[in-house]
Amino acid sequence: MKEGGLKPYLLILPLAFVLAFITYSMAETIYLSFFEVSYLNPFYKKFVGLGNYLWLFTHPSPTRPYILDWLTRSLIWVASSVSVKVLIGLGGALILNEEFKGRGIFRALTVAPWAIPWAMAAMMWAWVYNNQYGILDSILMHIDKYTGLFKALGIKLPLAFIGLPLPSFISCLIADIWAGVPFMTMVFLAGLQAIPQELYDAAMIDGASSFQKFRHVTLPQLSPIIMVASLFSIVWTFNSFDFIWILTQGGPLHATETLPIAIYNVAFRWLRVGGLGKGAALSVIQIAIVSTVIYFYMKLLRRG
Amino acid sequence: MKFKLVFTLLIAFLFLCSPLLVSAQRKVTIRVLMPLGGGYTKEAQMKLAQEFMKAYPQVEVKMEFVGWAELWDKIISSIASGSPPDVIYIGSRWIPALADMDAIIPLDKYITPEKYAMYPESVWNTVRYKGHIWGVVRAMSTKCLIYNAKILEKYGVTKIPETWDELLEAVKKCYHPEEGIYGFLIAGAKFVSTVSQFQNWLYANGGLIVDPKTGKALINNTAGVEALEFYAKLAKYAEPNPIQWRREDLIQLFKAGKAAFYVDHVFNLIKAIKAGIDADAAPIPRGPHAKQPTACVLITDSIAIPKLSKHKDWAWKFIAFMTDLKHQTEFDLALGFIPPMKAERKLLFFQRWWYRPYIYMIKYGVPEAAGIKDWEAVQDVICTAIQKVLLGQATAKEALDEAAAKINEIQGIKG
Repeated sequence: MKEGGLKPYLLILPLAFVLAFITYSMAETIYLSFFEVSYLNPFYKKFVGLGNYLWLFTHPSPTRPYILDWLTRSLIWVASSVSVKVLIGLGGALILNEEFKGRGIFRALTVAPWAIPWAMAAMMWAWVYNNQYGILDSILMHIDKYTGLFKALGIKLPLAFIGLPLPSFISCLIADIWAGVPFMTMVFLAGLQAIPQELYDAAMIDGASSFQKFRHVTLPQLSPIIMVASLFSIVWTFNSFDFIWILTQGGPLHATETLPIAIYNVAFRWLRVGGLGKGAALSVIQIAIVSTVIYFYMKLLRRG
Repeated sequence: MKFKLVFTLLIAFLFLCSPLLVSAQRKVTIRVLMPLGGGYTKEAQMKLAQEFMKAYPQVEVKMEFVGWAELWDKIISSIASGSPPDVIYIGSRWIPALADMDAIIPLDKYITPEKYAMYPESVWNTVRYKGHIWGVVRAMSTKCLIYNAKILEKYGVTKIPETWDELLEAVKKCYHPEEGIYGFLIAGAKFVSTVSQFQNWLYANGGLIVDPKTGKALINNTAGVEALEFYAKLAKYAEPNPIQWRREDLIQLFKAGKAAFYVDHVFNLIKAIKAGIDADAAPIPRGPHAKQPTACVLITDSIAIPKLSKHKDWAWKFIAFMTDLKHQTEFDLALGFIPPMKAERKLLFFQRWWYRPYIYMIKYGVPEAAGIKDWEAVQDVICTAIQKVLLGQATAKEALDEAAAKINEIQGIKG
């Protein structure tokens, strides 16, 4: 109290408010998950114990596949999206860290996806994927016209990017990756610029090749940043909703129905087969999964 | 002395103002929730509120606006919070869910015989549930078969189809993908309008999603299976990969002269005409099981009163005001909607040739969600069935049997 007086406590006050808010929201969600709640009747609340969780795991729901499908799909979604974001982000950062003409413009362009609101970006992707007016199919058809490549491969154009289950999943994934790469690139670029030049000079004196420099200097120096950035990305990608909802609404045939889409459907759309209690139970499961991932990541991070 | 004078004047001023304060306090405030977008402008709706306040100076109308996409969320969250608006604008398909949850009140006692007689029975059916009326229709749309007369002429289609067989034959004739011309346009995306597009064929074959009285699924009976089979047949002569398409976007293809036929509402017929397409509309062709010459899905939006409203009588007065012949006509003329009131149809505006087939369809309109207790969930089930058939993952019978079982579960019907 003597050194800083009340100042540190005052400074920490906003954080305390945020923490209190988060704790309250989480506690309320966990509490709700043990009740059958009517969204329209605030006075109706019936304790069902683990009933909502049992329903999620055992009940062959009339409007969706089992929870295991949602979980599997979400894990594939997060694993593929985050790993590609890290790889492209790292590659982009390494390129942008080099001296070349027009580097400033490329750096600015990298951030461009961030400047567009996500809902608008998703609409833009919907038109990119459109099989009559979309630019992607148009490019492919031009390539095919001059090279006959797709005809030779037996691929019929235009392609249904968001019209078939697996292509829809991949198309949503690409859009999500596009939106997530700028963050990775910028964070990695900042990390690269913080690596002391002396380390590279020493490696050069030792006769290290470019790959060896990357392997033994860049990567170890950058790994804490990679860990932190991918941790953020995991959380954000797990919660990714906008792109999927606007592009496919979870379809076709549930192919893009990840946990956030399922939570929205169960909690807010399916009033009779779903409900707030079941939606809360599903949210608790998602929180548990994300928290577990964070825990192990933090452990890894501390190990250095 | 000076202070005393100021103090006395202040007291006198407050005393004189007190009646004004009291009368202001006595003023009833009603909150009205309205959507924005899709042609609904803030200005037009504010004007309505001002007119009402002029007619009833003792009432203050507070208009609350929300985007169409957020309307449902806003309604249920405001009801859940215990302080909903006094008047709410709803999609009529939400009525069963809201009524079952005891969230809105039946309006039977307010609707006079004169008011009732202003609308056709098919329009009232869209807001009827469990024998009661829960809303007053504000906006309405019917659907017709829109066609490109030039394409029909080019490929030798001389008769506008009235039956499914005739339509399929015409669609086949006009299907020339090598020239970028499709016989038909199909919606298959996971979206509400995919279901409503299918409903047109279901109803045109005498089918229904559920029995409006018992709530039991009927979608998998012969009429339903035939309708879905027919939808899939049309898809063979439609644009590639219809699962990518929402009905709302199909107009882009039609007004580019890429299709002979498709089903849509009057705005898009007008859009096509404005784009220079030789377009016209006809009643939806009937299926083999049809008992009527045609049918289509009748989609309405309506105005309802939440149960928790503290000023139900004033809420009704506002509804009656906004849906009287004068204001309803102004609204329909401004937005170009199909008029729900019988008297409106006599207006010159609605006598234009492109409105005629759509107004004719009112008589044969079947409500979008009659007897369906949870529209959003049922909509997802039907959409999945349509997509399964379009993707060749199930036959129409298999997909609809599965859908019927799921719908029965949603409806709370066992066995």
